Amino acid sequence: MATIVAVVAETPRARTLVLDVPDWPGHRAGQHVDVRLTAEDGYQAQRSYSIASAPELDALELTVELVEDGEVSPYLVEEARAGDRFEVRGPIGGHFTWSADEGGPLLLVGGGSGLVPLMAMLRHRAARRSDAEARVLISARSRAEALYVAELAALEPRAGLRLAWTYTRRPPDGWTGWARRVDAAMLAELGPPPEAMARCFVCGPTPFVETVTALLVDAGHEPALIHAERFGPTGG
Amino acid sequence: MSDDLHLDGNGIAGLLGEALLFDPTTLLRRCRSCGEQHALGEHRAYRGAGVVLRCPNCGDAGVVIGIQEDRLVVRAHGAYTVARAPAEAG
Amino acid sequence: MPPISRGFHGRRRADVDASRLPPGQYLTTDFPVLSAGPTPLTPTTGWSLALDGAVDEARRWSWSDLMALPQETVTVDIHCVTKWSKLDTTWTGVSLDTLLDGVRTDASFAVAWSDGGYTTNLPLADLRGGRAWIVHAYGGAPLEPEHGGPARLLVPHLYFWKSAKWVRGITLTLDDQPGFWESAGYHDYGDPWREQRYWGD
Repeated sequence: MATIVAVVAETPRARTLVLDVPDWPGHRAGQHVDVRLTAEDGYQAQRSYSIASAPELDALELTVELVEDGEVSPYLVEEARAGDRFEVRGPIGGHFTWSADEGGPLLLVGGGSGLVPLMAMLRHRAARRSDAEARVLISARSRAEALYVAELAALEPRAGLRLAWTYTRRPPDGWTGWARRVDAAMLAELGPPPEAMARCFVCGPTPFVETVTALLVDAGHEPALIHAERFGPTGG
Repeated sequence: MSDDLHLDGNGIAGLLGEALLFDPTTLLRRCRSCGEQHALGEHRAYRGAGVVLRCPNCGDAGVVIGIQEDRLVVRAHGAYTVARAPAEAG
Repeated sequence: MPPISRGFHGRRRADVDASRLPPGQYLTTDFPVLSAGPTPLTPTTGWSLALDGAVDEARRWSWSDLMALPQETVTVDIHCVTKWSKLDTTWTGVSLDTLLDGVRTDASFAVAWSDGGYTTNLPLADLRGGRAWIVHAYGGAPLEPEHGGPARLLVPHLYFWKSAKWVRGITLTLDDQPGFWESAGYHDYGDPWREQRYWGD
């Protein structure tokens, strides 16, 4: 069972819920939880959300983006407030995880709120003062919808980390960086090259993940090193 | 038929626990249809009445999970490989 | 008892005629897409519907054969085992009574099978009596692939997983052969009004 201790607005459509979960067993960066809501008449709805916080943080943080016509996300993004309670099951998923002990190099590619589990990895990397080489490509529709912009910018001077954004709908005024969907040229420029045998973590909506993983395989990345997490049309 | 070569399942509870209590997303499934081996976390999950995990290579319905209020019913095909934890030193 | 999530009501409407909602169901106005696998995109050229198994003579209808049969438009309520119900859905297609007309069989059961390998079983009697159709239009428009197009089975008096999407054949059988979900814990018959969701219900 989780109790909301704080709510942080990330974008107009996304909030981070800071949760107190007694007896939380700890998690690895990249894992997710199942959230189950119960209405007064007993009706229940359940969805999965990625954990945004590093394992080193005491609280558990979920960043939830509003899904149009969704059922659970409108409640979590628009209604829930400190003191509200719901069930949390997890952590779940050992396939899409990274620990600083495993080292680098890493390639993290996130589309939309697919950045959330990758953020947990980057926060974990920072908390452990890891210098594992990490290249990060973040695809967002616009700056207003991009998550964690200030925090990521503050992370970047650390050795071994390189961040890149691409804005697919409305780039910021004066933006000189990428403003298109992720493509082969983008991945080649960002690196690391396939020879580096980087572990690749790709998270986002299903079509985004399908596209990016196919690009990585075509570029020569070892399929066994590509980890993908999709969220689909039944989310919300 | 009689034999004195078997134990009951309780006698291998430790091995059963090792074989069945694992992080399921890291469990490797060798597909009965195409022969490729992939972690369950790499399989494609579809949500119908229950959930289907399909081989990422050939789409074979490897694991079908019926979701009920008080139980899950699992129907699975293929061969499954569990990595063993390294033995404690000393 | 799970904690009540203050202010959470779910995606349901309160202004519903309770007599039309089977137990445990809630009303939805959108049309959720649930699928046991990827959506096949089958062109109607080359499409056919088979009726085989324990029959005097196997039959097969091409798309144009199906279109040449008498068409019925029905408005029915549909009920998914995942608990959503949708009222007043309108479909057009061919009654199974038409397709089964003149078929001689000793079978008591049927298995519907689909592109992509999906199967579902039901008593043959439930395909008769104006209660089952092969439908190719929804709301007057060609049935979208994500909802089972080009054609799906429609058996609205049973939970909606029995209404096989992308149906390509019906095999009549002497004994009951559990289908895709029925062999993974879901009820063999699936009457929503008796809440027959799972084995043992």
